[in-house]
Amino acid sequence: MNPYIAIGLLLLLSTGLALIIVLLGAVLGPNNPNERKLEPYESGMVPVGEAMQRLPIRFYLIATLFIVFDIEVIFLFPWALIFRKLGIFGLVEMAVFLLILLVGYIYIWQKGALEWD
Amino acid sequence: MNTNVDWLQRSLAIGPELLLMLGGLVVLLVDMWLADDDHPLLPGLTGLFMVGALIWSFVPFIPGMGITPGTIYGMFALDNLTIFFRVFVLTSSLLVLALTTVYIKGRTEQTGEFYSLLLFITLSVILASAANNLIMIYLAFEFLSLTSYIMVGWLRDDVRSNEAAMKYLLYGAISSAVMLYGMSLLYGATGSTNIAEIAAVFANPRTEIVGIFNLGITAAVLMMVGFGFKVALVPFHQWSPDAYEGAPTPVTTFLSVGPKAAGFAIMIRVLTGALGAQTESWQAMLSAVAILTMVVGNLTALAQTDMKRLLAYSSIAQAGYILMGLVANNPADNFGIRAVLVYLLAYLFTNIGLFVSVIGFEQATGSTTIDDYRGLIRRSPFHAMAMVIFFLSLLGIPPTAGFLGKFLVFGAVINAELYFLAVVGMLTSVISAYYYLNVVRVMFFQGDEEDRPLRFAFPLQAVLVITLVGTLLMNLYPTPFLNLIGEPTNLVTQLFGQLPF
Amino acid sequence: MSSIPLEWYLMLAAVLFAIGAFGAFSRRNAVAILMGIELMLNAVNINLVAFWRYVEPQGLEGLMFAIFSITVAAAEAAVALALVLALYRTRDTINVEEIDLLKW
Repeated sequence: MNPYIAIGLLLLLSTGLALIIVLLGAVLGPNNPNERKLEPYESGMVPVGEAMQRLPIRFYLIATLFIVFDIEVIFLFPWALIFRKLGIFGLVEMAVFLLILLVGYIYIWQKGALEWD
Repeated sequence: MNTNVDWLQRSLAIGPELLLMLGGLVVLLVDMWLADDDHPLLPGLTGLFMVGALIWSFVPFIPGMGITPGTIYGMFALDNLTIFFRVFVLTSSLLVLALTTVYIKGRTEQTGEFYSLLLFITLSVILASAANNLIMIYLAFEFLSLTSYIMVGWLRDDVRSNEAAMKYLLYGAISSAVMLYGMSLLYGATGSTNIAEIAAVFANPRTEIVGIFNLGITAAVLMMVGFGFKVALVPFHQWSPDAYEGAPTPVTTFLSVGPKAAGFAIMIRVLTGALGAQTESWQAMLSAVAILTMVVGNLTALAQTDMKRLLAYSSIAQAGYILMGLVANNPADNFGIRAVLVYLLAYLFTNIGLFVSVIGFEQATGSTTIDDYRGLIRRSPFHAMAMVIFFLSLLGIPPTAGFLGKFLVFGAVINAELYFLAVVGMLTSVISAYYYLNVVRVMFFQGDEEDRPLRFAFPLQAVLVITLVGTLLMNLYPTPFLNLIGEPTNLVTQLFGQLPF
Repeated sequence: MSSIPLEWYLMLAAVLFAIGAFGAFSRRNAVAILMGIELMLNAVNINLVAFWRYVEPQGLEGLMFAIFSITVAAAEAAVALALVLALYRTRDTINVEEIDLLKW
């Protein structure tokens, strides 16, 4: 059997189910809107200010640092999988890699990039 | 075989690279600890690590310590080409370091980071020239690119520096993405990222993959976008004049030498190594690129009024001449590649020498406009005479290093019977004489209102003398260099073994 | 088992790459150009992983290449955003058509 038939069925089912749920809600549920309910959802709280406003530049700095450090750690996973095969050499290599990351971390720390104020 | 000892030995074989990496980290940490940005310890340490790496690079020449050519885990090639580029790039970084110490004072507060990046960029050029695997080539290539973007944009409050870095980055990121696409095709065609294995597959294609040769050619075209960007070949050159003009001048100096060396080293390894079986296809493509590069580079240089931009276009044109050597290479004796290496070495001394003069002039007058060079012969005769010699060398007129380089490259082209290429090369050289000698005319025969003598800082004068000696010595004592042609083996011993330094 | 042929993946990657390239060449906002470039890099990752699966599944080179290219793309994005910020501070614009001090 063609494997795409299953995918097609799944697609049909999920779309249909979603449609049914939305339609049922719209038909059966009571509908009395007020101003607060129509506002964009923000964790159930009353929204404060506009969404399209300027953010402090610190957010970008933190985000950039996060991207770099977060992605670099990806290498630990394949390394951990074949750690036993690599032996001491692999350990030393990873230590060197982490040392470089550590120096980078100390650097941004000392430069005050992690301080909020 | 005891594998523990094995990897220790291999680590010792890449000692210069480890030393550079350690140096970069140490300088960064020391800078944090020092309060003073202009502390002499920073350039001192940087120089120390570079000299250490340079000395370590000569270890293979000690009798009994010779390394057996090979690769480290198939990633890092240990051969004469690697050793040549190690010595090449360490020499140029040491010269650039001397320029930096003079230039950087008062221009930026981030001096320690700059020295640290100088060590890292040196490392990246060596890694790129030694890379023996597509993954390694890509990583070293991007390492080099990222460090150069940052260094070009170093003067954070300078509008031009920022703009140059942004343009360099946008061009660079796009061309490296195209190159990566080419690499993925090459991997798909051969099922390997190792250069030797790729070459083996092409030499003996597996039958189940149809059209494998064509995929190799497609990959070569796409990868040339990246390589061409790195060495600034037309039509991937547009970034280079902007980046050269906007960057801090010592960075421009390094950019005109380091990335070019790395780009040509990668081209030599990938084209003659991995794609040796498709030589005819890429040779045709490269000769077209070389012709375009020489013509466009030289013609555009005619219109320049800024010294750094003039040198940018001149270095684009020079890349075209260097590329001719690669096009004309004959795999039997590698004459073309050796001509490329000699040309690169001549170019190293000549170009750094010219940029020293530019930096000295910029420090004294704050200008890089060609018109402001008028009357230089009266203000600083030695400086002006040195510039004349460097221009002659770029032109390829004896008794300068450039003559030896051009002589060998054109020799290789004529040996390969690529007469059209040779004729275009000759004609564009004549065009280049116009703009090189125009600067000489301005320096010698114009202006007399400004007669105050120019003073050069000591490091600048030292570098000027070193590059001048190098430029002249390569032609006046060419035996070790010419021996390259007769003896294909042990290239670097031929090159450096007999030089008195 | 009938499975999706390799060509389809390559086609997908080629289309994605072309869309990314179009974005990189047609947008005027530096950040939008960078997004186009990211798309190009991710197209290559599809290529690499597909080739790994179909051409050389016993090796790991294709997978490792993809992981390395992801990390390099992240590092590149970090440097690029830093430069965009520096540019914005001095020029008050990130429209690449207005960044035109250096020419010819």
